[in-house]
Parts: sequence; C-alpha cells; structure tokens
Amino acid sequence: MTGAAPLLHSTWLLVRLRLRRLANQTTALRQQSAFSGKVRTGNAGKKSSKLIFYLIWPLMMFGFGSLMRAALVNLHGALDPSDSFWRTVEFSPELTIGAAFLLGVLWFASLLMTVGGGELAKSDWDLEWLVTLPIRAETLLWARILERSIVNPSGFLALLPVCTVIAWYSGFRWSAPLVGLLAAWPLLLLAALGRTLLDTGLRLSMRASQLRNLNAAISVLSIVVLYLAISFGLPEKSGFMTGLAGSTPAWFAWTPLGLTVRALNERDVGQMALVTLGLLAQVAVILWLGVRLLRHQLRHGVVAGGSRETARTAASTAGPAGASRLALVRLSAVQRRELTLLGRDRNFLVQSLVLPLLIVGGQLLLGRSGIASNMWHDPNVLASVAFGLAAYSLSMSAFQTLNNEGHALWLLYTFPVSIEDVLKDKAKLWSIITLAYPTVLFAIGIYMTPVLEWKFLAAMLTAYLGIPIYAFIAVALGVYGSNPLEQQQNQKVKPGYVYLFMTLSALYIYAIVTPHPYQRLVFMVLTLLLSFALWQKARDQLPYLLDPDASPPARVSTSDGLIAAMLFFVIQAIAVAAISGSRVTGARVLIAFTIAGGLTYALMRSVYAKAKTLDVPRIVGTQGARPLIGIVAGIGAAIFGVAYLLALEWSGVLDTALRDSEYVSLGLWIVPLAVLAAPVFEEFIFRGLIFGGLRRSFGFWPAALAGAAVFAIVHPPISVLPVFVLGLATAFSYERTNGLLAPMLTHSVYNLSVIAAQAFLL
Amino acid sequence: MIEFQELARVYGDFTAVKPLSLTVQRGEVFGFLGPNGAGKTTTIRMMMGILVPSAGRALIGGLDCHAQRAEVQRHVGYLPDNPIYYDFLRGREILQFVAEMHGLPPAEAQVRTRRLLAEFGLEDVVDEFAVNYSMGMKKKLGLACALIHDPEVLILDEPINGLDPRAARDVQDRLKQAAAEGKTIFMSTHLLDMAEKVCSRVGIIHRGELVATGTMAELRVNEDASLEEVFLQVTDENSAQVLAP
Repeated sequence: MTGAAPLLHSTWLLVRLRLRRLANQTTALRQQSAFSGKVRTGNAGKKSSKLIFYLIWPLMMFGFGSLMRAALVNLHGALDPSDSFWRTVEFSPELTIGAAFLLGVLWFASLLMTVGGGELAKSDWDLEWLVTLPIRAETLLWARILERSIVNPSGFLALLPVCTVIAWYSGFRWSAPLVGLLAAWPLLLLAALGRTLLDTGLRLSMRASQLRNLNAAISVLSIVVLYLAISFGLPEKSGFMTGLAGSTPAWFAWTPLGLTVRALNERDVGQMALVTLGLLAQVAVILWLGVRLLRHQLRHGVVAGGSRETARTAASTAGPAGASRLALVRLSAVQRRELTLLGRDRNFLVQSLVLPLLIVGGQLLLGRSGIASNMWHDPNVLASVAFGLAAYSLSMSAFQTLNNEGHALWLLYTFPVSIEDVLKDKAKLWSIITLAYPTVLFAIGIYMTPVLEWKFLAAMLTAYLGIPIYAFIAVALGVYGSNPLEQQQNQKVKPGYVYLFMTLSALYIYAIVTPHPYQRLVFMVLTLLLSFALWQKARDQLPYLLDPDASPPARVSTSDGLIAAMLFFVIQAIAVAAISGSRVTGARVLIAFTIAGGLTYALMRSVYAKAKTLDVPRIVGTQGARPLIGIVAGIGAAIFGVAYLLALEWSGVLDTALRDSEYVSLGLWIVPLAVLAAPVFEEFIFRGLIFGGLRRSFGFWPAALAGAAVFAIVHPPISVLPVFVLGLATAFSYERTNGLLAPMLTHSVYNLSVIAAQAFLL
Repeated sequence: MIEFQELARVYGDFTAVKPLSLTVQRGEVFGFLGPNGAGKTTTIRMMMGILVPSAGRALIGGLDCHAQRAEVQRHVGYLPDNPIYYDFLRGREILQFVAEMHGLPPAEAQVRTRRLLAEFGLEDVVDEFAVNYSMGMKKKLGLACALIHDPEVLILDEPINGLDPRAARDVQDRLKQAAAEGKTIFMSTHLLDMAEKVCSRVGIIHRGELVATGTMAELRVNEDASLEEVFLQVTDENSAQVLAP
C-alpha cells in the first residue's frame, strides 16, 4: 500500500501539472493566432513557432531589465549626493532603502497580478479537488506555496530583472542573473504565500459573483501599481516614486525586501552570510506563520463560500429591471439585458470600459510622444486620441459580443429573432456607450479652446461618425475572432482578428487628420463600404456559429469586390510602371489596363471555381441579353454627363481643372480604352462583385447608391458627379437584366458620348 | 407537424445521422430513443437551427428549420440537455427576457413569468442567479422558458435526465398536461420507463440510423416484451435484425 505522498514528491507533481497546463495554454494560444478557424484545443498541433515563444521571454526580461537599470539610476540621482559616483559597489544606506522600496512596489504589483489574473473569477476552486488527493493537508499547503513560487511567470518578470540589475551593480557581473534568481526566490515564496492566503480567504468568505467583481478591481489595481513601478525608470516621470522612496523609514532595511538588497550588495562574505541567514530566517518564520494561518482558515474544511448565493436586495424585488427607469430611450430586450449585466458584472465593466481608459491613458502619460500635452492644442490630435480610445474600448466590448453570450448562446437560437438583429442591437448599444469617451474629451477640448474653428468641428465630426461604423466592424470581426464556447478566458479571442481591428482603426486616424476634405470623404465612404462587407461576411457565418465543423457555402460578397478593386489598381500601377519606363503613352496605358483587368478577372474566376461559389456574375443573364435596356440607360447617363460637361465648360471650371491636373494625352487610344476595356473589366468588378455583393444583403436603392458612391470616388474629383449617375444607371441595367452585358453597354454608350462631346462640342 | 426529409449530418468522416425520414403528427408525443451517442442531440440541434444539416432538411409546420429558423422558433419551445444561462441574471429576469424576445409586451411577459415560476415551484429561488441553480432547477427553468410563449411544438432533449424522483415526476406531469392541451412534443430520452409513461409513439435511433418506429403495441414482438427488451434487441451490436416500420 502507498501512504500519503511526501512533500517534495507532491510539490514536484503539482509543479509538473501547472507547467503542463501553462504549456498547453500557450500552445493553444499560438495555434489560434494562425487564423485556423475553429481549433479543438488539446491537440498537440504543429510545433513550428515554439522558437519565437522562447525568444520573446528573454527579450521581455531584457526590456524590463533595462527599465529597471534606469530606475536604479533615477533612484541614485534622487537619493544620493550629486557628486558621488554611483557605480561604487557599496550602496549608500539611502539607496539601499530606495532599492528595497522599488523591490517592494514590484513585489506588490506581481502579487496583485497573480491574484487578479483571473483564477478568482472562475467558479471552480482547484483546492476543492486537491484536498481529495491522498496528501496530508499540511503537505498540500506547503506544496502549493512552493509550486506557486516556481510557476509564476509574472512574478519572475517583475522580480528577476530588478534583482539581476542590483546584483550586477553590486559587482557580481556575469553571474548576476544566477544570483538575481537566487535572491528573487525567497521573495517569490512570500508572494506565493500572500497569494495563497488571499485567494483561500476570499474563496472561503465571498460568493462567486462577488469574487468576479473583486477580481476586476484587483486587476485594475495591479495595472496602476505596475505603472507606478514602471514610472521609476522613466526620465522626468520618476519624481513622484523616487520621492516616496526617499521618505521610506530606515527600518525598511530590516524587512525581507531590505535584507535582499543588502545581501546582494554586501561585499564582506561573513556579513553577507549573516544577512542572508537573517533573510532566510525571516522568510521561514513568515512562511511557517502563514501556513498556520492557512490551517486556521481551512479549519472548517475546504468549502467555497456562498456556493448557493441569494441576491435578494431591496432593488431586486422592484420588478423588471430598468423598465421604467429607461423610458426615455426605447431599448430592446437585448440592450436592456446588456446594461443590466454591465451594471452587475464588474469584470465586464472593467474589461470593456475601464481598462481601455487605463491602458490608453497610461500610455499617453508615461510615453515620450508628448501627445498628452499636445492634444489640448491640436484638434486633430485630440480627435485621434478620442477615436483611438473609443476604438480600443470597442475591441474590448463590441468585439466581444458573442463571447459575452458564452455558453448561453443557445438561448438566442430559440428566439423568433434573427441573430443578426441581436448583433445589430448590440452594435448600436456599444456605439452609443463608447461615444462617452470622445464626448468628455471634446467637452474639455472645447472648454480649453478660445475660438472654435472649422478644423476642430471637422475633426470632431469625423471621429464621431467613425465610432458607429467601427462598432459594426468590431461586432462583425468579433463573429470571426471569438470562441464563445471556450472555457479558458484567454482562449476566447483569436488575437489575429483583434490586431486586424486595431489596424483598421488606426487607418481611420488618417481620415481624421487629413487636411483635404475630399480625401476625408473618400476614406469615410470606403470605411463604410468595408463595414458593410465585413458585416455581410459575418452574417453569412451566423447560422453556423454553434456548428463545430460546417461552414457556409461560398457566395459572391462585397468584400470580394473590394479585394478585386484593390488588386486591379495595384496590378495596373505595376503594369504601367513595368511597360512604360519613362514615357506613358496611350497604347501602353491601354495594355496595362487590359493586363490588370484580365488578370483580376482570371484570378477571381479561378478562386470562385475552386470554392464552387454561388451567384458568380454572368455576361448574359437568365432572361436573355436584353441589350436595349443597357443602351437606353447609357443614353440617360450620357445626357447627364454631357450636360455636366457643358455646364463646367460654360462656368470655366473645366479649363482650370484641366490645366491643374497632370493630364496625359492618350490620343485616339482613349477610344478602345473607354469604350471596350473599361466597360468590360470595371463592370465585372463594380457591378458584378461590389453592387451584386451589396444587393445580396440590401434592397436595390441602398446597394445602388453605395456601389455608385464607391465607383465615383475612385475617379478624379471633377468627374465624381456624372460617374455617380453612371453608377446608378449601370446598376439599373444590371438589376433589370441580371447579366453584365447590359451594364457594359451602358458604360460604353456613356463613355463614347462624353469623349465625342469633348472632341466635337468643346 | 414535424417532418424530416432525408435529414443527415456528418462530422468530417464521422456520420452522426444517416438520412432520416420521419413524420410526427400534430398532437403526438414522440419519444426519440437511443443509446448515448446515437445521434439524438444532433438531430434535435438540427431541428433548432443550431446545427446545419449536411443533407436533407427538417420541417416544422412546413417551414425549413435551417433556412427559416427565426420563423420556426415562433411555434417552438426548446429545452436543451444541459441548459446554461447568463451569469449575473436571476431566474426571474431570464424568463422575463425570454418572454420579451418572443415579442410579448413587458407587462404580459411579467404576468406569464410569475405564473410559470409558481407552476414550477421556483418562487423560492427566483431571486437567485440562475447559474447557481441545481440541475433540477435549471431544467425546470428551461422548461418554463420553452413554455412561456405557449408554443405549438415542444422539442425537449433529455427532459428528466439527472433529476431527482420528485422533480422528474413534476416535469412528467407538466408534459402530460401540455400533451393534453394538444401540443406536439418531440423528446429524446434514454429513460425507457418515462417513454412508456408519456409517449404515444417512439422511434429508436442507433448509430445514426432510425432502426424502429411505432407505438408501444407495434414495437412489442410478443405480448409481454417490455420496451427495454425491444430497445436492447434493436440496439444490439451483434444482431443484424432490424425492425423496420
């Protein structure tokens, strides 16, 4: 028979279990980032990118180490007399206490990070399971503390660099990392004890929902403390913390923190042994007392507090939540539920609204960009910060809509409401909530601006308009980027999609800061279309959300059109550059255009054939070619175009426009280009894919207007209006014939008429 | 009322449900029996539009369960095998929310919520967060959610699995009452005595294939064979005999 497991063996088993779990977590995280769709975790998967992971850790350690070096330099500058050379091996008593204080702040930050790391928020308590194993309670507690002192990534990240730096300047040089590790370990033991005492005590006394809320508060506090620790190492920002370090009382040198610094710094071997012994004795006594306290905490057994919680409060009997209070705004049931959760679940509140503020605010205050001081003087910077903050918040809130449904997602499938409508409700709600950040910032900005300029209003308006657009983009990308059924909090999000959202948000900053109104308009139209396209893709996905391995059939989408248009412009630019050399001629432009159009067409068709895509646009529709419709629509658009041309000529605008533009004479080549090539290729992309893709989700008019707007803005500003009308006319032809031939004819007739008018009437 | 037309589902290489055709008439209580992993839950999830059929389709009231999911849910109440609810919401609030999502005006939703909670004996726990409910209470709350909009069809996945005897009896009584009101009930179970007590007709699914359907009387090979014996016989790995309807 086997008896109770001894301490070392059980510690080893626990450590191995934790490390295995940590490794599984990081493996799963890496697999997710590869856009690999629905990953079943637990598989070993590919082992290719492990190297990167092992490279990142030392890099982070090194980065933090250099920050800690700066922190020590700053402490020396603040605490020691200005003429003393600080790289003496012997620290002054003031610097010793200051360094101990720095160590203390880092220790506290690491403690908060581990406690607020999310374990408390989970309803399962691993100790409840561990006590059922054949280990004596005393052994189990010791093993738990030992295990937590070893498997503690954030603790190592916080303490190892600073201990190494202190060891380095105490003369250990290249053995400093090893000595630093030895010095950090007693402190990590104390951190493990603190963590165990805290989480055991909290688990025993608080209910699951309270724990989640407390977890949120601790995670916020940990970030604040970490910022304070980091500020030690920043030039011009370290004053506050070094000031505190300076007023730390002398007895701090006798705490484990002070003794650690002294043991590292002591040159005399006998003295050093004595200090080290003192440190170890202190740690041992504290640990022993801690374990006593733990035994006392667990004297009634390992039973989580309030597993059956009652939430009876005065408010709870008041009837349906918020029904009367929010009568001002008519909120849907989904929106009301979301607000109720936001009000109750501090974790949710902190994650979605407070954390963005802290992180962006912290970056601005601690960073060296000077944005924090500039933004009140430059409306573009203010609007960019406001939008950035809102976008960051959206990535934590709107992006997470599906994850917030979590395992209760099935409920949505039992309602006679489309999932899309539910998501729309949520996107609207989050765009309204997120508007709060820019509103506060702009209010301050307006208060601080002596004269309100147009520039301010334009930047403000652009930022405001961007937020609802990006709320929809966030929800749409969130459909792809979340794993609502995943148990592990850190595996619920696929990081690639978050980065994609952040990149797209960063692009919008360009629309805010550009000085040209037309570029701003172009950018906003494109962003709007992008949000449509992404939403459509997400919408196709919705019936398949809970399906582990089926995916929607491929259909022509607006996003295909956007990709094809980009492809077309890029290939054309490359082809023009490749064949023209120094001189651009009409023939060469025609060839480049045809190459780009042909390649794009061939690529898209082959992709569609491979994916067996439905509704690929055809040249001749199901009801026959019906060329007359195309020609009539073309004549209609041509009348408008020629009239517009004559009006421009009459007002004299045309001459100025032609003089100012870098006009390339294409000669007679313009005729085949405009009458043949352009209609064929542009109709495939703009009508077949973009308008056709939009039409799948919208009525004729919204699709036609949006498609025409995109078609118009890729043309020069002077021709936007007639090209927009042409876009509508071709959309009409395509709609009526369901084939591309008619809109091609419309396009041809229009182009021919305008060229003829330019040649003969002007 | 419920119709499967060659409904099938594969997961990669694994065939969970082989082409399945079946009709359940209005007012029938149909028991969908089978061993664990036979394809019962997969079939039910396809009826709910949660899973997408690989081939064929499921119809309820003539509407396609995948293509017209939202429309179908107007007439359907559903209880999953393991109902999971939103954290931080009380049982009462969840039921109220479900009622409002079904389009009931808030006042009416409140009245029905109160009535159903009383009916299921959940008044004592209405103010507790639903995630903390015991399995029995969760199932009762789920059944209340399924009934709140007074649907014509009930789709229930293992309705009394994991319940204590009293709770199981409560649920069975409530189901009999619903059947008496003329509701069509489609429920999966592997608890045979329950099927014998409640169902008017049963189908036995084994390895994704419907191997027997009929009333209790039709399924019995001889006079005193119990449903259990029939079940064991048709789901016997070694027996090639299939009791085709």
